[in-house]
Amino acid sequence: MCGCGGLRWGWGHSAPSPMLLLSLLLSSAPFGLLGEETRQVSLEVIPDQSGPTGNLLHIRAVGANSTLHYVWSSLGPPAVLLVATNTPNSVLSVNWSLLLSPEPNGGLMVLPRDSVQFSSGLIFTRLLEFDSTNVSDAAAEPPGRPYPPYLLAEFSWNNITDTLDLATLSATFQGHPTWDPTKAFANGSLAFRVQAFSRSGRPARPPRLLHTADSCQLEVSLAGASSRGNRSLFGLEVATVGQGLDCPSAREQHSIDDEYAPAVFQLDQLLWGPVPSGFVQWRPVAFSQKQGGRDSSLPCQASPLHPTLAYSLPKSPIIRAFFGSQSNLCAFNLTFGASTGPGYWDQNYLSWSMLLGVGAPPVDTLSPLILGIMAAALGAPGLMLLGGALVLLLHHKRSSEYQSIN
Amino acid sequence: MDEEDEEARALLAGGADEADPGAPAASRALPALCDPSRLAHRLLVLLLMCFLGFGSYFCYDNPAALQTQVKQDMQVNTTKFMLLYAWYSWPNVVLCFFGGFLIDRVFGIRWGTIIFSCFVCIGQVIFALGGIFNAFWLMEFGRFVFGIGGESLAVAQNTYAVSWFKGKELNLVFGLQLSMARIGSTVNMNLMGWLYSKVEASLGSAGHTTLGVTLMIGGLTCVLSLICALALAYLDQRAERILHKEQGKTGEVIKLTDVKDFSLPLWLIFVICVCYYVVVFPFIGLGKVFFTEKFGFSSQAASAINSIVYVISAPMSPVFGLLVDKTGKNIIWVLCAVAATLVSHMMLAFTMWNPWIAMCLLGLSYSLLACALWPMVAFVVPEHQLGTAYGFMQSIQNLGLAVISIIAGMILDTRGYLFLEVFFIACVSLSLLSVVLLYLVDRARGGNLNYSARQREEMKMSHTE
Repeated sequence: MCGCGGLRWGWGHSAPSPMLLLSLLLSSAPFGLLGEETRQVSLEVIPDQSGPTGNLLHIRAVGANSTLHYVWSSLGPPAVLLVATNTPNSVLSVNWSLLLSPEPNGGLMVLPRDSVQFSSGLIFTRLLEFDSTNVSDAAAEPPGRPYPPYLLAEFSWNNITDTLDLATLSATFQGHPTWDPTKAFANGSLAFRVQAFSRSGRPARPPRLLHTADSCQLEVSLAGASSRGNRSLFGLEVATVGQGLDCPSAREQHSIDDEYAPAVFQLDQLLWGPVPSGFVQWRPVAFSQKQGGRDSSLPCQASPLHPTLAYSLPKSPIIRAFFGSQSNLCAFNLTFGASTGPGYWDQNYLSWSMLLGVGAPPVDTLSPLILGIMAAALGAPGLMLLGGALVLLLHHKRSSEYQSIN
Repeated sequence: MDEEDEEARALLAGGADEADPGAPAASRALPALCDPSRLAHRLLVLLLMCFLGFGSYFCYDNPAALQTQVKQDMQVNTTKFMLLYAWYSWPNVVLCFFGGFLIDRVFGIRWGTIIFSCFVCIGQVIFALGGIFNAFWLMEFGRFVFGIGGESLAVAQNTYAVSWFKGKELNLVFGLQLSMARIGSTVNMNLMGWLYSKVEASLGSAGHTTLGVTLMIGGLTCVLSLICALALAYLDQRAERILHKEQGKTGEVIKLTDVKDFSLPLWLIFVICVCYYVVVFPFIGLGKVFFTEKFGFSSQAASAINSIVYVISAPMSPVFGLLVDKTGKNIIWVLCAVAATLVSHMMLAFTMWNPWIAMCLLGLSYSLLACALWPMVAFVVPEHQLGTAYGFMQSIQNLGLAVISIIAGMILDTRGYLFLEVFFIACVSLSLLSVVLLYLVDRARGGNLNYSARQREEMKMSHTE
């Protein structure tokens, strides 16, 4: 009775889904990029004929009438370029000699040029480390005394071909500083695991972000490296690149649903364009253990996004090759963990995941199990009340009839 | 916890015990405070009685107040954390039947109270030592010992109340004891986090030692309770000498074979009770993190809102008790309480509305349910089976709390708070189903459960005539 009414408003507030559905419809219409249920995904390592200089991984996700190109590279700092085209036949062309030159403009192109509907990029520039001892405020900014950051452009990376896994559509960039006088990375490494998807789904490992065929996932993990302090917090400096002049808008989306990431009720998003045409999405949680249980979850804080000048950041050849030198960069910092609670120091391990894709970010909906339980839980007493009322009414009526006969 | 039992007794006692002639007045001239026949002296005794239970209520919810600290310092997940509550409940699955028996036949009220207080004290000390030595199993064992004392101490407290205040201010006394229990829980919720940070500051770092020391300091309340038990024992003996008053008895007769004679409505009441209480106490046990994570509350605010159920229930229990007494219609009140709880949990689960609304509603409905549900047992059981019925009800309630605490912790670790809330909603809904069924069964059998107060009065009159 009251339950059913409650259910309706309950769902109404369950997620900001109507709004997002609307924007999904709006955004899919002009692009013709989205709504691709499945995509044919291929991973290709593009070799440099002149010698091993850096990894260039091309992920091509072909749908019925669109193609997404992800180009991941460890030339310079690790970076990714995302290009969406409105034809299933677009191709990536790489000119290595131009790409490796000081002016790489035009070294990377997606052809035909006029098919490009959306492009953006991310550059992972620095690994930050802070000393969090004597910091009582968990939300302090910066979260402690900073150590000199590691420049990811000065890391040496493994050969990506060795880690290519076509079954899971993934590859891992694993690196350590080229110059490591303190031997901090003697037994450790920083890894960027990239995974593409041919259809929507949800990985088994926390934070179990919902992905679609229009997105790919990056898992950053730091393992085995010795920290410079007893309670070191790590962070990552990330720069975004886009077509427009504005920075992507940052949004914290609160949801009621923490079924896939227990006790995490928030999704952080960066959205390109007024109507989202591209996104980065992550749960503000990192893990200090491989299995990623709730007892090893750390908060993950993102600083506000601010425009930055290209020369203040390490140069990424692939980004400059595609966007030119006038590209519009914005940067922000992610910090993993707080001075109290679990941290990297537990097992010298840290992992964090994000999703990069085109269109509007995927929205979690209540799982069928929850809906089923709710339907049963509210339906049963409701029916019982109804049935009971009916029986009593009939009973009452019959007994009054008897009385009238008497 | 079994304040509900007190609630039941409080509500029942009003009718049954008023015929007591009262103790003969002492003829010797003593100062009012020292004269057992005078009000001032009884108030002193009342104060002692209230503080007798304070320690155990304060320490019962220590884990909830220090949830994040316990989990961090002891490196346990939520499932293991909830075992701290489960271990409290296990001994009481059995002891609920024997608490009264032990007091009446074995120890006597005075020694019984002292012994149970000792169990509470020792249990809390073991619990704290578990923290200091970083041994979680020791903490669990501490909670087990604490549980042995805790519930039986509540029975002893009631027995003292009856023995001293029968036919005088008994209902008021029960109400005050109940309020004191709630105050104990509330103070704990809001004090322990602060205490932990103070200990942390003085020891220099957080860790299992800090946790242990904090719990040890919290254990001082148990020592206070033990002192009250000793003082009460002395005063009670003194009163016996001066007034020739008898030692208090619970008067409970437990016959386990009675269980087979329990009627369908009684079983339905049991189901309502178990399904209802498991969505209140385990939720409070896990609530603090829920309020900080989902609603962005600070730690202090989360403690405050987590204790609001207790805060509301302290003043509202007597009010609702009076309301139910005056109106009757117990099933309707129970139905309202359960439905309100359902709504409150749905708000917490599916909306981002300010949780104060939902928690206040939960507090009100919890108080209402306690007042309306427990007295119903007396209407469906013959008087000689009442002790067994209440013992059984408490016992399966403890069993339910123990089992659901563990399940709730497991659900939270793997599926998160939304799923946990949905699970709780399913439990409340089962409770609601039972209420409706109870109404129908009672209606069909022409039972008296849903009589208004006037109908009850008329029935009583016709019986006596």
